[in-house]
Amino acid sequence: MHTPPMFLRILWKLLGASRGRLAIALIALTSGAAVSSALLNVNLDAERKLTREFRTLGANVVVAPPPGGGNAALADESVPDRIAALHATQIVAAAPYLYVAASSGSQPVILAGTWFDQVAKMNSWWQVEGNWVSSRADQEHCLVGQTAARQFGLAPGRTVQLRSGERTISLTVSGIVTTGGAEDSQILTSLESAQTLAGLSGRVSLVQLSVSGTSAEIERVTRTLAANLAGLDVRPVRQIAAAEGSILGRIRGLIFWTIALILVLSMLGVLASMAALAMERRRDVGLMKALGGTVPRIMRLFLAEAGTLGILGGALGFLVGVLLARWIGERVFGIPISARLEVLPITIALTIVAALAGALPLRLLGRVRPAEILRGE
Amino acid sequence: MTAPLVQVEHLEKRFGETRALDRVSFDVDAGEWIAIMGPSGSGKTTLINILGGLDRPSAGRAAVDGLEIGNLGERELSRYRSEKIGFVFQQFHLVPYLTALENVMLAQYFHSITDEKEAEEALRRVGLADRMDHVPAELSGGEQQRVAIARALINHPKLILADEPTGNLDEVNEAVVLNLLHELHDAGHTILVVTHSRAIGNLADRRLELEHGRLARISAAFLAEE
Repeated sequence: MHTPPMFLRILWKLLGASRGRLAIALIALTSGAAVSSALLNVNLDAERKLTREFRTLGANVVVAPPPGGGNAALADESVPDRIAALHATQIVAAAPYLYVAASSGSQPVILAGTWFDQVAKMNSWWQVEGNWVSSRADQEHCLVGQTAARQFGLAPGRTVQLRSGERTISLTVSGIVTTGGAEDSQILTSLESAQTLAGLSGRVSLVQLSVSGTSAEIERVTRTLAANLAGLDVRPVRQIAAAEGSILGRIRGLIFWTIALILVLSMLGVLASMAALAMERRRDVGLMKALGGTVPRIMRLFLAEAGTLGILGGALGFLVGVLLARWIGERVFGIPISARLEVLPITIALTIVAALAGALPLRLLGRVRPAEILRGE
Repeated sequence: MTAPLVQVEHLEKRFGETRALDRVSFDVDAGEWIAIMGPSGSGKTTLINILGGLDRPSAGRAAVDGLEIGNLGERELSRYRSEKIGFVFQQFHLVPYLTALENVMLAQYFHSITDEKEAEEALRRVGLADRMDHVPAELSGGEQQRVAIARALINHPKLILADEPTGNLDEVNEAVVLNLLHELHDAGHTILVVTHSRAIGNLADRRLELEHGRLARISAAFLAEE
């Protein structure tokens, strides 16, 4: 019959011989690993969900021609298609805008032509009284910002005449929009209508993008866009990117420090068990040294024992942590948080580190003098 | 002429103000059985510990098989203990959670590689063929000491050091262990036994008698009986 190597035989017997004390250490490690695993799961899932939420809170990247060129500095209408051709999955929406200085009666107003379907994706908080313009091809309707609506006395169903130079168009107000931004003073219509009024067929002022992910991921997408859109500026909207990064950073920081604290507490639990174990094992170590065991060779046994506890505690803790994360997700966020497999190796690695740190008292066994131990001192 | 296996010259060991060994000198030839005798506190165990590489001399020299024990570093001492020395202790000192077989294999493990067949054979030689898978708590004192003897022999040491090997045994087991030591001696092993027992002392080739850390006399065992 095949028997395992002596190292594993001794390790197995060590685990069995001190199972009481090791069980206490294992409970400490499993508890720490469970909380760490739950927090890591919550962190990863919450981060994904939060970044998804953030992406409905406005554009965070703008593609535009370099400033200072007048009408010549307009971009081509094909830019959104070129962006779509990059298949960057993190780009949630891309809305081209053409801004036209128009007038209604004798008063000036900015007419913004855009793709309403894309605008809707990235501006979920806009409030519309009346109806949204549903199709990007709709050339008859417009949305009017609430300030502009007050200024021009417009309401849903009314018609507005707009002039730019010699050209005029007539649009029916579909809804009054409240955005809290510059759009409140603008009239928004389809890109094609704005191009017709401005006589700038196939041209756009800029393209607003909504890019999901962390600050670093957004930077990466920005670099890819810049590399593929020669002659155009690709700029992240710093305040939004920074705010998102800051919120995510704080959540991550909170979770990091909580995990660190939990692991230190588990390590202290292991430390207490191992300190008692070190006293119990002085005689065995004295004997092993007398038989010719070197300190590193003997310590390897004890470190392997601590490592085994770390692996076991980490794996068990991960499973408990998944359940805990699901419970936290439902109770705190009202959403189910799914198990993330990448958390398993992280949890096990962290727990092994805690177990090895907790096994530090066993290092004192290296100083045991066999002559004293074997004399019974 | 071959050099003595053990050479001890002006050996001293001090514990603070106390001199456990005081300028002790003697030689032991390969194949000799030496009994180290003397009252408690006379330095017998200290002498064995130094020769076994468990302790270091304060002054003088102790050499086994040409190796100066006082000059060895920690790693070399470990190697010396595993390769040159076989220990038998009064308290047996077996690892309680390992079986008899594993206790013997433990010495192999720290020496080089384990050989289960050889360890089984060593236990058979001391009459424990049917007790190999028992842990020490399931063995009698005599059986535990026989496991310790098998463990001491497994790496073919140059020198067997036994500290009161029958001190914790009844008469029957004492006889069994002494018989084993006899066989080892007959097989050419060099044995140093610390003992209080005159009877065991008389079995040895020579007796070294220590008093207050000094070597009081060396005598051939058959001459010492008065």
